[in-house]
Amino acid sequence: MSIDEKEVPLEKPWRLSLDSWAVVVALLAALLVRAGVFKHIPW
Amino acid sequence: MADAVVIPQVQPVQPALRFLRLIPGVLLLAAIGYAGKLLEQNVGKYAKAHHWVFPNIEYVLWAILLGLLISNTVGVPEIFRTGVATYEFWLKAGIVLLGARFLLGDILKLGGVSLLLVAIEITGAIAFMTFLGRVFHLKPKLITLLAVGSAVCGVSAIIATKGAIDADDEDSSFSIAAILALGALALFTFPLIGHYLHLGDRAYGIWAGLAVDNTAEATAAGALYSDAAGKLAVLVKSTRNAMIGFVVLAYAIYWASQGQAKAVGNKAAFLWQKFPKFVLGFLLISVLATYQFFSKDQVGALGNLSRWAFLLTFAGVGLRTNFRDMRKQGLRPFAVGAIGEVVIAVFTLGLVVGAEKFFGF
Repeated sequence: MSIDEKEVPLEKPWRLSLDSWAVVVALLAALLVRAGVFKHIPW
Repeated sequence: MADAVVIPQVQPVQPALRFLRLIPGVLLLAAIGYAGKLLEQNVGKYAKAHHWVFPNIEYVLWAILLGLLISNTVGVPEIFRTGVATYEFWLKAGIVLLGARFLLGDILKLGGVSLLLVAIEITGAIAFMTFLGRVFHLKPKLITLLAVGSAVCGVSAIIATKGAIDADDEDSSFSIAAILALGALALFTFPLIGHYLHLGDRAYGIWAGLAVDNTAEATAAGALYSDAAGKLAVLVKSTRNAMIGFVVLAYAIYWASQGQAKAVGNKAAFLWQKFPKFVLGFLLISVLATYQFFSKDQVGALGNLSRWAFLLTFAGVGLRTNFRDMRKQGLRPFAVGAIGEVVIAVFTLGLVVGAEKFFGF
């Protein structure tokens, strides 16, 4: 099988990947903890 | 034949509906994870009260076992599947939050050592898996997928490589099934071997991070040993994950030069697209914690939040593992994966023991 010299298509930049969503949500949670919205998270 | 790992066709769905579809599965993850936590707290007490000899089983193992029980008996009903698949999201969010429990100095010290070990592991694993695949007469692209999956980071690496080298769906299904099956085995064998060899938390955590392929399984295998080992397994595994772009790019260029894959245009954009962004999030939170952006109590709260996220992940690892489906995948790729993994596990164990003596970590 031979494939022409086409470029590997990249994801559309405006669409966040699962990785990026995880980072956004985790950072948001960290900021809420920092702001004192969540004072104590039990375990 | 390759029907264990089915990549679902994505239909255009309203975002609100997509979100609603996640809820049943996420609730199932939370229920199983929490049940695991309750079992950890209560089974030991009950056994002690009744004078039974019962091992202290941690919530990690309970959550995985409960998930395995459901997945391999009644199965996971369709309504839960979309939400159960979010366990990867919880894993990555948990890793980012775990960054608060690492000071930058620790990361630089351990990261430097682990980077060296990871470089040796990746080179050795790719070379050995390629050799083994040729001995077993596997298809060249299947060999590439197995090599990347076992050397770098399991399923994510296989999916990233599949797209970059135009591999068949069947080959990627084989590779993913083999890597998942071996990851499930590693969950149970690694802690036993670690205890048998009396490995310290650090040595064991680094070993689990180096040798267990999938990030979820590496995190679980570390946490099953101890909290400290779990932290280190995540750090080393994240270092491995950070290498994914370079390895996939190298293979993409190789297969394009053979006329069997599309050429890579913008290499920097390619690397950025493949780079796991959660590693950057982990480093950012760690920098913030190092410069005391968070108080001590807040660091504790973030650590607990990370544990809750991992709790959902561990439930998902159990629910995702179906032994019947894995058996359908055929023996040869699994045999290559299994032999490769055993050799890589022994090789990395030697590396860690050697590095421990040399660097004294």
